[in-house]
Amino acid sequence: MLRKIFLPTILVILAYGFWISPDFKEISAGVAIFLFGMISLEEGFKAFSGGILEKILQKSTDKLYKSIGFGVIATTIMQSSSLVSVLTISFLGAGLIGLAQGIGIVFGANIGTTTGAWLVAGFGLKVKISAYAMPMLVFGVILIFQKAKSLKGIGYILAGLGFLFLGIHYMKDGFEAFKSTIDLASFGGTGLKYLFMFTGIGIFATVVMQSSHATLVLIITALSVGQISYENALALAIGANVGTTITAIIGSMSSNIVGKRLAGAHLIFNVVTGLIAIIFIHQIMFSVDYVSSVVGIANDDHTLKLAVFHTIFNVIGVVVMIPFINKLVVFLESILKEGAIKTDQSFDSAKYLNDSVLELPATALAAITRETKHLYDNAFEIITHGLNLKRGNITSSKDLDEVIEEPYSQNAIDIDNFYNHKIKGIYGEIIDFSTKAQSQMPPEYIEVLYKLKLANRDIVEAVKDTEHLQKNLVKYSTSANSYIQEQYNTIRRDLAELLRNINIIANTDEEDVIMLMLSKAKLHTEKYDIIANGTLDNLIRNDLISNEMATSLMNDSTYAYGISKNLIAMAEIIFTERSSETESLSEEMAMTDEDIDSILGKEDK
Amino acid sequence: MGIKKFIKSVQSTLGLEDYKNEGKKKSLKDLLKKLTSRKKSITALLKTPLDKKEENRLREELEIISLQIKKGKKILYKLYAKK
Repeated sequence: MLRKIFLPTILVILAYGFWISPDFKEISAGVAIFLFGMISLEEGFKAFSGGILEKILQKSTDKLYKSIGFGVIATTIMQSSSLVSVLTISFLGAGLIGLAQGIGIVFGANIGTTTGAWLVAGFGLKVKISAYAMPMLVFGVILIFQKAKSLKGIGYILAGLGFLFLGIHYMKDGFEAFKSTIDLASFGGTGLKYLFMFTGIGIFATVVMQSSHATLVLIITALSVGQISYENALALAIGANVGTTITAIIGSMSSNIVGKRLAGAHLIFNVVTGLIAIIFIHQIMFSVDYVSSVVGIANDDHTLKLAVFHTIFNVIGVVVMIPFINKLVVFLESILKEGAIKTDQSFDSAKYLNDSVLELPATALAAITRETKHLYDNAFEIITHGLNLKRGNITSSKDLDEVIEEPYSQNAIDIDNFYNHKIKGIYGEIIDFSTKAQSQMPPEYIEVLYKLKLANRDIVEAVKDTEHLQKNLVKYSTSANSYIQEQYNTIRRDLAELLRNINIIANTDEEDVIMLMLSKAKLHTEKYDIIANGTLDNLIRNDLISNEMATSLMNDSTYAYGISKNLIAMAEIIFTERSSETESLSEEMAMTDEDIDSILGKEDK
Repeated sequence: MGIKKFIKSVQSTLGLEDYKNEGKKKSLKDLLKKLTSRKKSITALLKTPLDKKEENRLREELEIISLQIKKGKKILYKLYAKK
């Protein structure tokens, strides 16, 4: 309800303002152009985020100080803490970084965002900024029309900066003209009442504009022409800092639970920082005066002093909050629980797929890879139980002959039911999400995505083959005919070995181990194929099994062969390193059919 | 000087022309080192008394690793030949 009337109300107020004051119109147009510049700038940086940003982020977040440093630098360069927050949520959503690292980045972004105030106060107001805006816009727009992705990105950044500068110019002009008709400063005052009132206005303005940067520029330009007092400007800046968390909260709505936790951390951090700034406003103002005199800022240069204030109170906030990061993580994990958003516990659903990871192709791929692993975990459970084996025995180092002696259950499990509850939904979600992600991906990512889709299909095929295999497996693995019983138990043992090897592959980073296990799995699939190695012929020729048994065994060994092939193909895709160099290496080093034939040929001799 | 020529000359000055192959070579050398040390330890184990099952397992692993080393070396030679 509130949401429905919010937008029309704002539009009506703006329209009324434009009607009664052309200067207000100019200021608002300045804000609108500035915000458009921010959007353009974000678009430009996104064009460069396909790879470089992800690599830096992954390497620079293993320590807290690195995460904070990354937040500071990224926000300083991109001039948008919102973009950094949204990207961080995207990384969290894909599971590439942990909550503590994410919080570190957000803390850093709060410091980084203060550089915006420095730039506007120190540069934007001191030179004729619109003189730079025009050529930037022209060059920017020309580059936007280019086909090359990098040129397009540079075009968006240039146009974005151009619009930012143009917006500042209009805001400044508007406030100067406004001064001749109304003196806004007369509405201000000092004292606690005004401190809270202007903090509230700062929050409101930032919520409406969805950008603390825009609010801050508006404050600085108004301050530069004396339309607001220095004290009130400080309160507005505090409000802008709190209001900016709304952008992160909105960004987290499409994210998974980790993204929501990060938005929670952002809110707590900015509210605590705001409270500290309000409580210790006089002490901070004293520090601002001291720092300003040390760095040579004139006592009446209120715009630069506002930039100093903005930096000091954000740095204080970070310093105060650093010791509580781990407690904050525990607190957020306890109030925002994973299970709370699940609707039906019996149907498993996707864990990592959410719209926030679609921000970057790399995070989308990472999320799909993780989801595929999740699907495999479920498939592992179904296949193991379908073979009447215990999962714990597979993942242990127990002798495989003993493993097959311990059945999971006396009765056959309902694989179809398991499939509907644990595979079908997730598989559908992965395919649906992949289609969505594909539309925003460059060709090199689409190639990887295609392989991931194949891996998912392989998993589903393996589960379906297990369902077919299970029917006779239950019947013959306890048959009175020891020959057929032995064959079915051999199938169980071979598949158990394969599942164990895949489990080893999934839990190691050692490339040589992965390569060895995959090669072994491929070799054994061919070696123990009873149709190819003549076992089946031998059983039939010597009349050791009935015709019905022979048909069943032939069909089921084909299913077992299919399960092995599908699972190996899946493991090669999702459990091998996907960096560009090692990926091509894994493919070149992979064991081919000729290699298998040569090893099997040697063994025969 | 055209822009493409300029970029090429900067790449060759900074030695960036072949950075992908260099990365691949490094990964391959590391992998070969690991495979060789594994081969040595398996060969040493095979000299000790083992039961038949274990011996077969190790022989098979040795066969696979020898093949991987051979393949890896071939790729490495090709990479050096490219340079």
